[in-house]
Amino acid sequence: MASTITRRALAALAGAGIAALAIGSAAAADKPRIAAVVQSLDTEFNVLWANAANSHPLVKDGTVTLTVLDGRMDALTQSNQFDTAISEKYDALIFVPVDINAGNDPVQRAKDAGVPVIGSNTLISNTDLYKSYISSNDVEAGKILAKSVFDKMGGKGNVVIVEGMIGQSAQVQRLEGIEATLKEYPDIKVIEQKTANWSRAEALSLVENWLTAHPDEIQGIIGENDEMAIGALEAVKGHGLDPKKIPIAGVDGVTDALLAVQRGEMMSTLQDADAQAQGAIDLALAAVQGESYQPKAKVWDVNGGKLAWEGGKSQHYSVPWVPVTGENVEALLAMRKTQ
Amino acid sequence: MSDLTASQAAGSESRGRAFGRFLSRYGILISFLILFVILSFAHPNFLSTGNLTNVLRQVSINGILAIGMTFVILTGGIDLSVGSILAVAGVVAGSLVTGGDPSHPMVAILAAVAVGAAVGTINGTLIARFGVPAFVATLGMLSMARGATLLYSDGRPIPNLSPAFRWLGQGFIAGVPVPVIVFLLVFVVAWIVLRFTVYGRWVYAVGGNVKSARTSGIPTRSVVFSVYLLMGALAGLAGAILTARTTSALPQAGLGYELDAIAAVVIGGTSLTGGIGSVVYTLIGALIIGVISNGLDLMGVSSYYQQIIKGAIIVVAVLVDRSRNLNP
Repeated sequence: MASTITRRALAALAGAGIAALAIGSAAAADKPRIAAVVQSLDTEFNVLWANAANSHPLVKDGTVTLTVLDGRMDALTQSNQFDTAISEKYDALIFVPVDINAGNDPVQRAKDAGVPVIGSNTLISNTDLYKSYISSNDVEAGKILAKSVFDKMGGKGNVVIVEGMIGQSAQVQRLEGIEATLKEYPDIKVIEQKTANWSRAEALSLVENWLTAHPDEIQGIIGENDEMAIGALEAVKGHGLDPKKIPIAGVDGVTDALLAVQRGEMMSTLQDADAQAQGAIDLALAAVQGESYQPKAKVWDVNGGKLAWEGGKSQHYSVPWVPVTGENVEALLAMRKTQ
Repeated sequence: MSDLTASQAAGSESRGRAFGRFLSRYGILISFLILFVILSFAHPNFLSTGNLTNVLRQVSINGILAIGMTFVILTGGIDLSVGSILAVAGVVAGSLVTGGDPSHPMVAILAAVAVGAAVGTINGTLIARFGVPAFVATLGMLSMARGATLLYSDGRPIPNLSPAFRWLGQGFIAGVPVPVIVFLLVFVVAWIVLRFTVYGRWVYAVGGNVKSARTSGIPTRSVVFSVYLLMGALAGLAGAILTARTTSALPQAGLGYELDAIAAVVIGGTSLTGGIGSVVYTLIGALIIGVISNGLDLMGVSSYYQQIIKGAIIVVAVLVDRSRNLNP
């Protein structure tokens, strides 16, 4: 009996909670409401993305309500979050998909329900479903990555490639860029290529084992992201080798990579999270409020940046990569402290 | 005629039984040796000192977790939260040794162990005092400790750890990596405790038959509580080592590590129902897992096969364990 009462009381409490939430959101109904479905809030890039989104001027001053939903690196979780956001009648959705193909269907459902979806960062295979999308070209990243390593090797020798989680758009496209570049460097030979699932700890063990399998034969290391490149760097150092003699490169510009570039131990290319996140919010608001909307992100040409705004009407916006160099690394690290 | 058949049958049965006993006693060791020999022939550098040092270092973190897990599983319990405990202890340790004024590495290591022990205390209290099934209590903790890790670290790596702290993961003493030394120390202490102390006998007794253990005056609740506390402290220690090794405290560290720790214990033949097993076999179990992934990396075999092989070995190990139960 007692337990029935407790259970009922709990159910009533839960009901009241849900009602309060509903009232809360109804009260804010006149403000534009945007939901962002991101990959996972435990990877540094997604956290930087979410922080940038939350510091968009209109989100900060409360003109726009932004809800960031954590996709927990799972395509099904993201799909469910789309259904919730659609039934909660958000005005627009921003999507950083986990999976390149599984992402199509939820976007189609939102489109059918009349909710515009803006893509950001990673892609879905059918980008036509997006109202618009803003991303950096990962094929381009793969080319920059490979070229930086190959050039430092003097255009010849053996490389190893540490791959991302197989099947994700960043892995597929960065590899495409690497392979395209390989064709231009006939004297470069790939002697090992395997996934370390974007993980530093996995890459550390993998590269240690490769260095043992091919003593003195590895002349360059490509990591499809910075985390794995840093793992490779630690393996090289742990093996008693000089990282300045074995070029190692990654992509993303995470803090540890910036620090390693500063020490001259690796190369990296920064993926501009601020531009991708705040740019996506501007595109979402342009979709909701129409042409009169004035974008606020610094990346747009109308605000002094490099990317053409074009009235928010283009379908695809490509955010340029920022190679991290000895000259700009101090400034990037200083900026990182405020993100 | 019929007598002859019967005696033949009896003879082959006892031979079968003897073989079963032999297999269950030495099967794991033999499998490990066979694997070792195959890999020595398969790749010229497998037996190099450098590679064997690598394998031991790669095994040390899972090894420390697996030793704690042996205590837990010997009592018939399970701890699914070790990967998350490792992560939360790692970020706490990392936050103490980052920036311009890092604490002494010992402070960070003790803090990691203390955080792990504190989480273990919660697990132990839920399980021993409130009777929550270990699977459920630690499954809840898996999620809670991960959430705490992300909150504490703001979902980002904590970089710039002091060189003195990184020595714990990267340094050597007399040519042996520090993580390996810590692992072996933990192993020796665990072996002595389980084999030669009253407490060790209690752990086996609780897992063997909790009722008779209670009747014979063993403080069963305290014993159950203590193994989760110990597991937490060891996961904290492993978290400090992993953090020192990856040179940053990573909030997503340790994902899925509980499975490798449990696998090492199971491959080592410790019974999941408790009461039977040994840290010596757990050590071999952890080495088998480490040697397989090292060997397949050396030979350039796809990591997909690696997962299949590891899974198959777990199942075979349990089959061997069952044959021991069928042929007592």
